[in-house]
Amino acid sequence: MKITDFKIPTRLDEALAALRDLGPAALPVAGATSLVFIPEDQPMTAVDLNRLGLDGIRRDGDAFRIGAATRVAALQKRHEPGWVLDRVALTLSSQQIRNESTLGGNICRVFPWSDFPAALLALGAGLVIRGAQEKEMTADEFFSSQPARLFRGGDLLTHIRVPAVGAGAGFGYKKVRQTATGFSLATAAACLQLDGGGIRSARAALSAAVPFPARCAAVEAALAGKKASEGLLREAALNGLSGLKFKEAEGMSAEYIGRLAAVTLGDALVEAWAQAKEQAS
Amino acid sequence: MAKKNFKVVNQPVKKLDALPLALGKPLFVADFKPADALYAKLLWSPHAHAIIKSIDISAAEKMPGVHCVLYHGNVPRIAHTTAGQGFPEPSPYDTFMFDRKVRYVGDRVAAVAAETPEIAEAAVKAIKVEYERLEPVLSIEAALKEGSPVIHDEPEARAVIPVPYEPKKNIAARVGMDVGNVEQAMAGAPYKLDNSYYIHMAQHCPIEPHVTMAHVNAEGRLVIRTSTQVPFHARRIAAQTMDIPVQQVRVIKPRIGGGFGAKQEVLLEDVVGMLAWRSRRPVLLMYTREEEFVSSRTRHPERIRVRLAADPEGTLTAVGLDCISNTGAYGAHALTVVCNSGSKVLPLYRAPNVHFTGTAVYTNLPVGGAYRGYGATQAAFAVESAVDELAEQIGVDPLVLRSNHHIRSGETSPVFAALGEGKAGVEQAIGSCGLDKCIRLGAKAIGWKKRGDWRKKKGRYRRGIGMCCLMQGSSIPEIDMGAASLKMNEDGSFNLLMGATDLGTGSDTVLAQIAAEAIGTTSDKILVYSSDTDMTPFDVGAYASSTTYLTGNAVLDAGLKIKKQILGVAAEMMEKKPADLEIRDAQVFARDGSGSVTFQDVALHSLYAANQFQIAAISSHISHKSPPPFAAHFAEVEVDTETGLIRVVKYVAATDCGTAIHPKLAEGQVEGAVMNGICYALTEQYLFNSAGRMLNDSFLHYKIYSMRDKPEMVTILVPTYEKTGPFGAKSVSEIGINGPCPAIANAIYNAVGVRLREAPFTPEKIWRGLQQHNA
Ligand SMILES: Cc1cc2nc3c(=O)[nH]c(=O)nc-3n(C[C@H](O)[C@H](O)[C@H](O)COP(=O)(O)OP(=O)(O)OC[C@H]3O[C@@H](n4cnc5c(N)ncnc54)[C@H](O)[C@@H]3O)c2cc1C
Repeated sequence: MKITDFKIPTRLDEALAALRDLGPAALPVAGATSLVFIPEDQPMTAVDLNRLGLDGIRRDGDAFRIGAATRVAALQKRHEPGWVLDRVALTLSSQQIRNESTLGGNICRVFPWSDFPAALLALGAGLVIRGAQEKEMTADEFFSSQPARLFRGGDLLTHIRVPAVGAGAGFGYKKVRQTATGFSLATAAACLQLDGGGIRSARAALSAAVPFPARCAAVEAALAGKKASEGLLREAALNGLSGLKFKEAEGMSAEYIGRLAAVTLGDALVEAWAQAKEQAS
Repeated sequence: MAKKNFKVVNQPVKKLDALPLALGKPLFVADFKPADALYAKLLWSPHAHAIIKSIDISAAEKMPGVHCVLYHGNVPRIAHTTAGQGFPEPSPYDTFMFDRKVRYVGDRVAAVAAETPEIAEAAVKAIKVEYERLEPVLSIEAALKEGSPVIHDEPEARAVIPVPYEPKKNIAARVGMDVGNVEQAMAGAPYKLDNSYYIHMAQHCPIEPHVTMAHVNAEGRLVIRTSTQVPFHARRIAAQTMDIPVQQVRVIKPRIGGGFGAKQEVLLEDVVGMLAWRSRRPVLLMYTREEEFVSSRTRHPERIRVRLAADPEGTLTAVGLDCISNTGAYGAHALTVVCNSGSKVLPLYRAPNVHFTGTAVYTNLPVGGAYRGYGATQAAFAVESAVDELAEQIGVDPLVLRSNHHIRSGETSPVFAALGEGKAGVEQAIGSCGLDKCIRLGAKAIGWKKRGDWRKKKGRYRRGIGMCCLMQGSSIPEIDMGAASLKMNEDGSFNLLMGATDLGTGSDTVLAQIAAEAIGTTSDKILVYSSDTDMTPFDVGAYASSTTYLTGNAVLDAGLKIKKQILGVAAEMMEKKPADLEIRDAQVFARDGSGSVTFQDVALHSLYAANQFQIAAISSHISHKSPPPFAAHFAEVEVDTETGLIRVVKYVAATDCGTAIHPKLAEGQVEGAVMNGICYALTEQYLFNSAGRMLNDSFLHYKIYSMRDKPEMVTILVPTYEKTGPFGAKSVSEIGINGPCPAIANAIYNAVGVRLREAPFTPEKIWRGLQQHNA
């Protein structure tokens, strides 16, 4: 990416106006860590998103409201009941990258290795976008294809609403990589809502191993309404991914990566179940 | 010479360059860039095998800011080798500054020097090349097939020493030896194996990629500052390739950011020198990481056949080793690396029948070169895996099998005499050998006793322990030479000038310790200046685990000469006989307690008072043997049987390097080598597409370990005293990288019963092995 100019707005409307004026020559930047991945070609004007008051985490009823420009390190350092994104943040690359990368930057343009999309899909997050007006969409809509599509007209993601993982609920997150800061081979996230010994609802999502982050509908369907057990959870993951396409990675075959994803999702489900039992009301 | 009571040697003194390095002072090649320097960029071949039908540089030459464009049409055509080795080199002359043919994706096509990196880049893009593509040869098997395309069909390609060289068959080198008859021993043996192993390509990944800067000075001489392990070879090869006298070239090595063998290659000096020579401007060329992966050098992959036989008592009767290495497009180190696969591995175990062949083949892949371990890494994987497999067949603890058969102090091996570097080797008896103790202490540290059979292990995550034994050498006997000069200053400090090349290892510090110990002063009184072909004596450079052992002996000798001169001057001052004096702590004392003078007094006297002369000495050393350091390595791993994912839980490396001149730096060498070896075993690999293009040429996709990946590591130095080494020292820098591949392969087997004979050990390979078990 060739940055030839830099705008530093201090209000959201100012930023939105700058983006509209500049059109395709504008590039909103938060942590700016993704620039190294984007091949240099057209000169662009960077529009800084760091002074718009878009950072910070707030409890808002049953959910957390996270500003789009909140650093991954801030997610990592927060610990309180219902908050689970620290577990996701902790395994994202190195501390240096976590200090710079923002949650918004991680999801507005999804790379094959982006960690947060699977977690937000499993948690059923809401995404709040500001253009001429404000609109909120579900993670399923947001991640239905490359989210960058949503921002071409100069709109911005302002915050993310993440449900607190409360009574009877559990979240599981597993990421497999060959080196501590390496890209993921398979990332799996799962949320279970228990109802006594039964599973009231299950949400499961995968990324890295698959072409684009996605919910695992067959796995979820195999669990809903069933009595929870480790065997059931692992079996659902092993049998429920046959419809998905997997990618080869790091010299390993798609077949193997599919196997790895299934086991990893099973592990995430078991972790979610353990937390749900712990939080049983 | 006293073996113990060292004052400076065997102490963790301050590393001489620690402070300026920690403070980020300008010390590296690119730090010295003058304001008027031009930037060089190279045009690389996009094809694995092609003839350049035409090349048009006119548009590039006309671009404002472009000062020089080089290609095969406007430079001398001189066959040479990039391998920085003793002259005449054992590597074939098969490389040109630029050629009409390209032999791998990333081969040099043209070079540009321009005012800015951007202009240089644009000029490179403006060069128009028309290629006629040839069928690429992308594997050892393809290279050896009857009728395979010939990669080196140019008439100039030749060997410059009498060794087999058959480019028409894509064979870059051949070597071999036989003692007794392995076939016969195999035929009657109750226990035997005949297995094939494959070990892969990897890159050195120095933190500083190759970088060279050159300028023509006021006197019209070419000054090359370069990140090299071999300044004197770089001078010779650059002059040869540019077709100018050696006298016209000065090579200086400042601090360098690692080499690991990659900088034993003269890769940039010729072309940067030529750009500076033609443009009469300083020129700087820095490889990018991508260029370092593709257009630098790699570890030669090898396909290796191992045959072992044992008699009914389980005594080893035969060892056979056939190694075929893939040297890529050029034969840099082709002969010597594959030869070391035999010479640095086979002597380790006693056997009456020994067989070895080494063959290096050309392919259209990135070029092999020197890489820490240098052939021993490859063969140690195969042989040490096979030893474990044989032990299981016999039903004996692999530790016991190794302990019973390894070479010992006072013993020799026919391999030493048979295999040299491009000629017969040098017979030698083993001097110091602490391998027994390495095995004992290492086994204790890893908990070898608790090691159980894999068949009894249960649960999803299973742990296993594996081991291996290793040897390397210390210098190349009767070939390598190192020299040092010392002079005394008026305050009692000393200048130590050496050609020896500190590539980050700390050899400047280690050699200063040796000088200080020899003279009787402290290492902070030794001012080291090294690796400058105009100012320092000759040294072959930093390779073959030689510097401490080889140059160390030259430094020791020069130090002893200085000591004698100091005693002479002090005797004159104190009116005593030198024999009645002794040196302690930078002072000369009369043994009868009647008086003393300081080194400063001696220096001032020698320079100003009477019978003035410069207290100074120069010494050279060649080695007559290559005493092996020994090591026993132990790895404990944990395997997830559901996925094949593997984690190294603990690693123990017990090493006999003789006297560790600087114990902390020696431990650092072991730990660095082991980390390097662990990720080589598990995560590093070159991925190519079907046209021979590397797919993962960055640290995002080529996985090396960082400190975050470091397992629990125990480093044990087992002191021995090598009589031929300076203060008892042998080498330590290479041996450590040879262990992780076999130790981890053996540990995986011990954990889950999967025997992997192809490295790297990816989770998929382990998982597939487990699937076969279950089937
Ligand atoms: C070496 C390295 C390794 C990495 N490894 C991983 C990894 O393993 N896993 C992982 O998940 N991440 C990883 N990352 C981070 C990841 O690749 C992205 O670079 C990072 O998440 C982007 O965050 P940022 O705040 O820096 O975004 P920026 O680079 O500033 O922006 C990213 C994109 O999002 C757009 N954007 C940003 N904010 C908004 C907004 N509020 N509204 C609309 N558009 C917006 C930008 O225009 C840009 O297109 C790694 C990064 C590096 C450099």
